[in-house]
Amino acid sequence: MQETLTLPSINFTEVFSTKNGAIYQSDSENCWYIDFAGKLARFDYRNLLKLKKAVYQIDIEDLLLNSEKSADLEIIFICACDHCYVLSLLQIIKMKELLKGTFAMLELNHIIYDRLHRLAF
Amino acid sequence: MKDIIRVKSLLSTDIETLLNQQIKKEAHSSAIYLSMASWCNRNGFDYSSDYFFKQAEEERAHQLKIYKYVLDMGGNSISPDINNIKLEYNSFREVFEDALDQEISVTQSLKNIAARCHKEQDYVTLEFLNWFFKEQREEEYKARRALELFEVIGEEGTGRWQIDKHVGQIVYNSEA
Repeated sequence: MQETLTLPSINFTEVFSTKNGAIYQSDSENCWYIDFAGKLARFDYRNLLKLKKAVYQIDIEDLLLNSEKSADLEIIFICACDHCYVLSLLQIIKMKELLKGTFAMLELNHIIYDRLHRLAF
Repeated sequence: MKDIIRVKSLLSTDIETLLNQQIKKEAHSSAIYLSMASWCNRNGFDYSSDYFFKQAEEERAHQLKIYKYVLDMGGNSISPDINNIKLEYNSFREVFEDALDQEISVTQSLKNIAARCHKEQDYVTLEFLNWFFKEQREEEYKARRALELFEVIGEEGTGRWQIDKHVGQIVYNSEA
């Protein structure tokens, strides 16, 4: 959340990162960039929430326990969003970890904003 | 770093989820009242049937009120799917017992949302809920009074006919 990367035209702030990926926020564009599974994808507010819902809804335990021979791949497709992910079970777990961390940091940022900047004098 | 989520929506995820649950609950209530109206009508209790039709519409209005509030505050209202509606009742009295149970459970779930609002200091939603609490006074009063009629009039003889005739006349007009 501290370091700001400056690319030619876009300002990114890292929200959260793990070994496997990272999520950056762009204040000027009001959106997030998700660096995961080998691509950098842009998500606006609605789409980020839809992605969160889609990933959180996957029953990881069920995927682990079922003994069907089908591949443990999940296609995460989000309505009205340009990106979709085809993730293996391990990647889903990693994605979930990344999203959980991100939303925790966003929540923290919200609390800081409330306490520091939105004081009623 | 900007607080984009807060800019987009006044409601926290938890409150939004609770409000969506309440939308579903009100829709469910409305459907139950419709079912009660149908049962009463089929069994010759026309005044009670009218009463439940009116209640069904009120619950529907409650549902829309929350639905629009969530949207207005930047949240996502979810149109609920409703199933498992009871179609048959064992007695005239059971219909009213269920109606009171339903109202009590609505009050309870509103209290639950208010408790969450207090915890998050979401006074905006809390103020919005006040209207519903006032409404619940009336709803519970009416349901309780209807059941009381079974006690004071009694079901023997033409009792049920009398009860049916008086159900539609129950009004709550306390402004306190």
